[in-house]
Amino acid sequence: MSIDEPSLARLMAASQRGDRAAYRALLGDSRKWLTRYFARRSAQHQIDDLVQETLVSMHRKLATWDPSRPFLPWLAAIARYRWIDMLRRQRDEAELGDNDAAVGAADEAVHAKLSIDHLLALLPPRQAQAITLVKIEGASISEASRISGQSESLVKVNIHRGLKKLAQLIESE
Amino acid sequence: MDHASIDELIDGLADELEPVRPRRVARGSLWVVAGWVAGAAALLGLTGARHDLSGGAMMPPLPMLSFWLIVALGLAAAWSALRMGLPGVGRDYSGWRWAGLAALALPVTALLIGFGDTHAAMEAARPENGLRCMIEGALSGLGVGAALFFWLKGGAPTSPERAGWVIGLAAGAAGATIVALHCASNDMIHIALWHGLAVALSGLAGRLVLAPLLRW
Repeated sequence: MSIDEPSLARLMAASQRGDRAAYRALLGDSRKWLTRYFARRSAQHQIDDLVQETLVSMHRKLATWDPSRPFLPWLAAIARYRWIDMLRRQRDEAELGDNDAAVGAADEAVHAKLSIDHLLALLPPRQAQAITLVKIEGASISEASRISGQSESLVKVNIHRGLKKLAQLIESE
Repeated sequence: MDHASIDELIDGLADELEPVRPRRVARGSLWVVAGWVAGAAALLGLTGARHDLSGGAMMPPLPMLSFWLIVALGLAAAWSALRMGLPGVGRDYSGWRWAGLAALALPVTALLIGFGDTHAAMEAARPENGLRCMIEGALSGLGVGAALFFWLKGGAPTSPERAGWVIGLAAGAAGATIVALHCASNDMIHIALWHGLAVALSGLAGRLVLAPLLRW
């Protein structure tokens, strides 16, 4: 089934009236749309979690969709909020020196890389390098410190500042 | 989280669906108006209106101009805050910024007047000549602040920090308009400094206190 705005808006209006079949179809279509949305913005291993969190948020905030407005900008706003929230959590982890969330980059989607590269290009080079090494390529803080020539604490600071700036860039998108 | 568990999640969410009534900005606006009226009734009921207003006369021109500028800021900020509860990429929530920019005419005017008469400015800046107005203004706006906070708490603000600022500014501006109906001073420095501080400090309080509570 193709995901088009008028169909989604009709399904959403029916969902607000309590139609469970329409809602199940809407959630299924939203899941496909969200998977594509997050594939262009985050690492592969985070996509399913972000899709799930966004679907739950969508469910909790169902009443905040205005039937006189299109559906996808509403869904995109919720998806973007969840994405920023994830970036904030990563920033907080970086503050605590926790880099467990990092994984290898080999399976990252090309689109995700393009989008992340685009955002990273807007950061100062040392912040972008620290985020790339630790959060995308899965290096430890000490490995990133050795590769980049920055001290370990500077790597942490640059990750923290860079993720904060990324969240601001996304919010102003 | 794998694909099977997302399927289960979708089934679970669909099974627990209940009808919802779409949130309307118009309904939230009524609560804001009620908060504004309640704040005015409380302050004016306790302390009374300005002598000229209670005598049926008009405010002098400059205080009246200040009053309407702050009303515009309050309305624009309240409207922006209400709209922030209904998210949507591409929606414009920035109306309050333009009203805020226009309201900056008040401190700029006060500053210029102050340069011309530093003694009067120093006198107006003494806390005993205005602190009470600032406190009354901040307290009078609590009704509007509460209405907007609960509206956004039930909504989906996608920038809680900005929403906190805007709620605070709306509440402070509402309080400043209420206190302007009570405060007998026609001095621009007093109005810009003490009534303006009620707006600025409410905005700061909104950012610091409300923003964390608006996360969802």
